[in-house]
Amino acid sequence: MGIHSYAVDEIGHLKENNYLNCDKSLRSWLFTLDHKRIALLYLASLLVFFFLGGLSAIFMRLHLYNVEKPLLSPDAYNVAFTFHGVLMIFLFIVPGIPAVLGNFLLPLMIGAKDVAFPRLNLLSLWIYWLGALVGIIGIINPVWILKYLQGSAISQWIPLDTGWTFYAPYSTSTGAGEGWGTIMMTLAAFILGFSSILTGLNFMVTIHRLRAPGLTWFKLPVFVWGIYATSAIQVLATPVVGITLLLLIVEKVFGIGIFDPAKGGDPILYQHFFWFYSHPVVYIMVLPAFGIIGEIIPVFSRKPIFGYTAVVFSSVGIAVVSFIVWAHHMYTSGMSPFSQAVFSATTFAVAVPTAIKVFNWVSTMYKGSIRFDPAMLYAMAFVFLFMIAGTSGIFLAVLGLDIFYHDTYFVVAHFHYTIQGGAVIGLIAGLHFWFPKITGRMYNPGVAKLAFWLIFLGFNVTFIPQFILGVQGMPRRYAFYLPEFEPMHRLSTFGTFFNAFGYTLAILNLAWSWAFSKVKAGANPYDALGLEWQAPSPPPHDNFVVPPNVEIGRYDYGVPVNLVAQKEVVRS
Amino acid sequence: MASEAKTVEAGAPPVYHHIDPVNAYHASKLGMWLFLATEILLFSVLFSAFAVYNWMYFEYFHDAATKLDWRLGAINTAVLLFSSYTAAVAVYKAQISDNRGVVINFGISFLCGLIFLVIKYIEYSAKYEHGYFPGTSYWNSTEFSAHYKNYFGLYYTMTGLHALHVVIGMGVLLWVIGLARKNRFSSRYYTPVELGALYWHLVDLIWIFLFPLLYLID
Amino acid sequence: MDYIVPDKVSTVADFFDDLNLAIFLASAFFTVAIVGAMLYFAFRYRAKSSNDITPRIEGNHLLEIVWTVVPTVVVVVIAWVGIVLREKMFEVSPNVIPIYVTAWKWAWEFRYPTGKRTSGQNAELVVPVNKPVKLVIASKDVIHSLFIPAVRIKQDAVPGQLKYMTFTALKTGEYPIFCAEYCGTRHSYMMAKLRVVSEEEFNTWVNTIPEKTMPKRILGKKLYTDLGCNACHSVESGVNLVGPSFYDVFGAQRNFKDGTSLTADENYILESILYPNKRVVQGFNENVMPSYEGRLSQEELMALVSFIVELKTAPKEELVEVVFEKDEKIDLEKMTPLERGKYLYSAKGCNACHSVDGSQLVGPSFKGLHGARREFADGSSVVADDSYIKDSILNPNARIVKGFVAAMPSYQGQLNEDDLAGIVEFIKSLK
Repeated sequence: MGIHSYAVDEIGHLKENNYLNCDKSLRSWLFTLDHKRIALLYLASLLVFFFLGGLSAIFMRLHLYNVEKPLLSPDAYNVAFTFHGVLMIFLFIVPGIPAVLGNFLLPLMIGAKDVAFPRLNLLSLWIYWLGALVGIIGIINPVWILKYLQGSAISQWIPLDTGWTFYAPYSTSTGAGEGWGTIMMTLAAFILGFSSILTGLNFMVTIHRLRAPGLTWFKLPVFVWGIYATSAIQVLATPVVGITLLLLIVEKVFGIGIFDPAKGGDPILYQHFFWFYSHPVVYIMVLPAFGIIGEIIPVFSRKPIFGYTAVVFSSVGIAVVSFIVWAHHMYTSGMSPFSQAVFSATTFAVAVPTAIKVFNWVSTMYKGSIRFDPAMLYAMAFVFLFMIAGTSGIFLAVLGLDIFYHDTYFVVAHFHYTIQGGAVIGLIAGLHFWFPKITGRMYNPGVAKLAFWLIFLGFNVTFIPQFILGVQGMPRRYAFYLPEFEPMHRLSTFGTFFNAFGYTLAILNLAWSWAFSKVKAGANPYDALGLEWQAPSPPPHDNFVVPPNVEIGRYDYGVPVNLVAQKEVVRS
Repeated sequence: MASEAKTVEAGAPPVYHHIDPVNAYHASKLGMWLFLATEILLFSVLFSAFAVYNWMYFEYFHDAATKLDWRLGAINTAVLLFSSYTAAVAVYKAQISDNRGVVINFGISFLCGLIFLVIKYIEYSAKYEHGYFPGTSYWNSTEFSAHYKNYFGLYYTMTGLHALHVVIGMGVLLWVIGLARKNRFSSRYYTPVELGALYWHLVDLIWIFLFPLLYLID
Repeated sequence: MDYIVPDKVSTVADFFDDLNLAIFLASAFFTVAIVGAMLYFAFRYRAKSSNDITPRIEGNHLLEIVWTVVPTVVVVVIAWVGIVLREKMFEVSPNVIPIYVTAWKWAWEFRYPTGKRTSGQNAELVVPVNKPVKLVIASKDVIHSLFIPAVRIKQDAVPGQLKYMTFTALKTGEYPIFCAEYCGTRHSYMMAKLRVVSEEEFNTWVNTIPEKTMPKRILGKKLYTDLGCNACHSVESGVNLVGPSFYDVFGAQRNFKDGTSLTADENYILESILYPNKRVVQGFNENVMPSYEGRLSQEELMALVSFIVELKTAPKEELVEVVFEKDEKIDLEKMTPLERGKYLYSAKGCNACHSVDGSQLVGPSFKGLHGARREFADGSSVVADDSYIKDSILNPNARIVKGFVAAMPSYQGQLNEDDLAGIVEFIKSLK
């Protein structure tokens, strides 16, 4: 791209090229090395899988509305929840915030022109696409298509029925997908793992080596810290699940007994390996969301974040502790009582840093000047939803209670409060917050608020009944239930529609505003103090027109002194 | 690992728009070390699976281990150790701007990799003939205990994955040799040589763990 | 909460529900307090103009220490109570009624020591009220999970392993049982019924057995002699032959040579049958007992385990039968020496360690033994004649053949001259 010169108008708008309009060919997008374009390509791909995963959730909820006249066969229901889990986790929310907002914002927030290895960044995206392709081929399944053409009925199409956890020996013995569905999907997850590892590696090196001179570690925004902790988990945990899934494939293809007891293997070992990654992975999903909330609340409260150091260290602490809690998914598998007690104790160790974060966010609002932009509404909803997620997590961490709650709807509801209420709400909040930076335009705030209320209410109506179902003892992954569970299931199905409609509206609103809105945003529409707001909107290829001056305090960029007066500095 | 390289003159570091050459060198090295960490974690799962089963079925595992030819394993260990030495020499040669030295030493490492694979092939085919191989009739017979399958399954998975790393490592060496033949390296720029050597050392290191574990447990 | 929670049937249900409610109230308190504070701040400090002046508050150490320490203390207490509850859930009382549970795709089977069994569509776990029961849980194929909401407990059924669950039911009635671990097509229909009945009703029910169902224990007893376990393991208290007595195993503390120890439960017994040399009890030799892995079906393994577990509780006459091998139809005196030897070969459990086909088990094969040269560990050697064979049976450890360990018990006093002659004839016949 070479050296550009830029001219900026009075509100920080580029008069000439930005990263979006410098070259509009398809080739320039597919082969782009610009972290901002790669972020947008990820966003587009993720939304496709978010839609498909959501669709399978709607099928499940419709089926569960009335199990006396079922919509799906038991097998089809199993396929639906497997799709929902696999698509939402491996293809949507694990890459999620780091791949989209991390890619876009990380270099901007540290005053860099790009990530450390732009080509590797593009490779990660391609690997993600390759993984998605392998998964899709596994689902559509050429072997089955051949059978279909020879007259097999569509109801016999059972591509994948293991659930997203691929527990052995079920996964090694299932005949779903003509024996190939599980292999292809685990292979896809293995490939997607590489994309995740390379992204994490790239971000870690970027944060270590590409900070603008003078930008010390404790001047970094909390979002960057969140991304850093996430990347460390991606680099250290993902290889474990990668090789575990590979062993599953080896076992299935060559008949070697590693996890199947019928062949001399140990199925509990699979669970240990699987959860060694798959517990930390929920922090890959949610730590960056913590970072986003820590960026949004100060801006709309017009106050610095309360207890920056505690917020930073709690992110790092959660990342470290996340590696030693995995076996709390296995209390009922018959581990020794001592191991159970140890893993219960370590699990509680996660609760404390999480609680600290919540206290800090709320304290930031104290004596602030609070504006209720949609991003702030999402952030406040996040605090509420995450309180429920966290406190319901306490029930599951308690050894004796989890013996009951394990594998019930209580777990399903808890997980969705953390991941949908946490990671997805965080992503949507971030997309609204940085929308002006990404596109240079403003979205329609009225529609955004309407969408917010639909999502918020729909979400709670969907999942609070599932907590009650869990308390009643309704097991998860059931295509059928006893009559006493019916009212809550019906209520939950109602909520799903509001929730789904809300997401659709929010995303369409953003897309429509980008395409048709006439409202230009300017470089810093919120009077925010982060470094990324010093770049033009949308930023040019090299991010900053003039190298930013970072030899000042953290979050002190472009302080309009008359607005944020240093009236009363309170430190103790 | 870097973008938009524009060759200016022989031996000069590539120019990037987003990072200066010295920082690019440090960034690449840090990235490589992180990558090596993931590789080690990848294998550590196999090591721990092996340890668990070795503990559970140690009679079978010790017995099965005697079916391997430790002499071939030892030769392969020596071959890889030597290739690691020449890889280290290649880095030194690059640092003193001796591109020919890089070609020769990486060439030797490459050949060692080839010898390693040939010996591995001999070992595998011997196993195949004895019927210790998935799919053979002896393997599928009831005489062949499930725990022997466990052992050999892990043996093939571990050595197979390692052999794949050898092949990838040889590819990396070949690529660096190609660059050295174009006199791309000098005391100012030798990042690819160093990274290639690091990767090759990892391949060697993993074998150093595999050899006693699989061949010498009895 | 009482409107929502399932029926309280077990002794731990009250503890569970109280803890559940306490944590719920604490959670609700913290959630309302924090979200309330947030909403209050949002309302109280809402922006008045776009030029509001705000204080620059970066933190407050005292406050931060307080809200680190308070949650830490709260969670430590909760974690502790949770661990106590779990201990209570899995506390096995003495004199407990064992019930063997087997899961497969997609049904439950419940077997009682009397041989009573229910399974499939009619699977019913019938338990007496106020009496502790212990479920020993196995799976034939994939992982299942036995979940009884009414007793607040769930336990996975893992293929290749035995797991337990224990509870005391306090209220008669019928309650659902679910499979909680996803297991395929009809996972959601893999249900059964817990039926709690009075003790008299239970006794009548459990003793009404349709013909042709053999209790697992009886099958186990048969295997005990058929496989030759009796050669090395007695069923009398304190009588240790080559291996430990079966009578003293279950529920006893086992100290192993590697320094570890455990209380012998069903899974340990199963493990010892499958992998006898993984953990060897102090005072016994390694590598003596062969592994029975792959040699017995799931059914046979369960039978052996239940035989050993129920030795102490089984009716006495059954035991006597086992010990003395009383079988009216067999009259040793009427047999030819060869027949007598052949019979004793299996009745005395020689077959456990000595093959007749040339394969080497713990001891040398009997095939081709007679007349062969035996080389001993001390370097001497002898040709195996009649007197050598008799001598090896009576004083087996006087001379040990190279490559074997001193593992065989002496049969002095257990066999008379005619018995010995018969065994020699039998060995002679194996050329």
